[in-house]
Amino acid sequence: MYEGVHARPDGESTVARLAATAADYGFEGIVVRNHGDAQTSYDSGGIADEYGVDVVEGIEIRSDDVGQASGLVGNYRSKRTVVCVHGGSLNRFAVEQSQVDVLAHPMRNGDVNHVLAKAAVENDVRLEFNFARVLRADGGPRVKAIRRLRKLRELVEQYDAPYVVSADPRSHLQLRSPRELAAVGSVLGFGPEEVTDGLREWKRLVDRNRSRRSDSVVAPGVRIERDVDTDWEESK
Amino acid sequence: MKHLPKHLRPRWRYLAIGLESWPNAEIDRRSFQRELWYAAQNLLGDVGSAELDASVLHFEFESGIGEAVVRTRRGEVDRTRAVLAVIDAVDGADVGLRVRGTSGTVRACEEKYIRRPREDFEERNVVFGNADRRAICRNDRVDVELPDGFVGATALDIRDN
Repeated sequence: MYEGVHARPDGESTVARLAATAADYGFEGIVVRNHGDAQTSYDSGGIADEYGVDVVEGIEIRSDDVGQASGLVGNYRSKRTVVCVHGGSLNRFAVEQSQVDVLAHPMRNGDVNHVLAKAAVENDVRLEFNFARVLRADGGPRVKAIRRLRKLRELVEQYDAPYVVSADPRSHLQLRSPRELAAVGSVLGFGPEEVTDGLREWKRLVDRNRSRRSDSVVAPGVRIERDVDTDWEESK
Repeated sequence: MKHLPKHLRPRWRYLAIGLESWPNAEIDRRSFQRELWYAAQNLLGDVGSAELDASVLHFEFESGIGEAVVRTRRGEVDRTRAVLAVIDAVDGADVGLRVRGTSGTVRACEEKYIRRPREDFEERNVVFGNADRRAICRNDRVDVELPDGFVGATALDIRDN
């Protein structure tokens, strides 16, 4: 199970601290998805070795302009393992771009309907269930967030759309363990495996993108595989 | 008042909780208990809150880390877990919080999950982001003090001077 985090300067903790706490909490890895204008540099391999969790280089693209966002997606697709888009006004754009991996918090300042849900299925763009406001807001804003999560859940279930789940932590203190998130999910009406599955989806996504970016992939759908016969000849 | 016969007494579960905050945070049992009740009421309403009947038994918090034992009704552990997860701050101090485990008796809970010998912490001057900073270090976790608040870091992010 992975978690998508925001590290300093997008949050209050460094990538290393988030990784260390995520390891304590039982996550297998973190996806660093700092916004495009708040990037950080870190040694993902070194941190991964030290704390025993996978550290994935991602980005969350934020822009008011669809044209600019499109350029940024094209730009970062080859540089980062996971490309997220900051939801809201970019919802429509994101679900129609097969280069986008995750549409982050689509219900915050934005909306998803059946058209967008179907487009997300078609282009394999994951919709994010963002628990930030459930965990850290209260009163009206939280009620609104819960109501919108429910709407998103109903759409996702209806169209079997791909999704991820995240607590959207901006510091190591905002991380919550998978079991806690699942418990919150069940209070909100999520099925017993739904939240856990959304946390696992990050890992599936990372594995897929890594294999796509590896040298053996020539073009979409074309992959160089090792020849079994030659291997056998060599080993003799 | 006479004790209830044993088979009529409520069945409890005890949750061991690990707490974390910034080094300057001051949290006591009373404020944590109040936050727990608020969280339960806000998330589950009065009815749900009464059903959990959650209360803080053991509480210890010092220089940014702490542990607690929370008692709840048997069968309500998951909902209590959800309530604990939505506690994001106590008395205005951000807290990180995790359920370490659950037990059927206080004693088992404390023996298994509450490790009272505390980890030592020390104040040091470190180099973080090319500037000299004061920091509080616990093992390899380092909270660096910046003018606008603390930053969570680890030994990998700093250099000693």
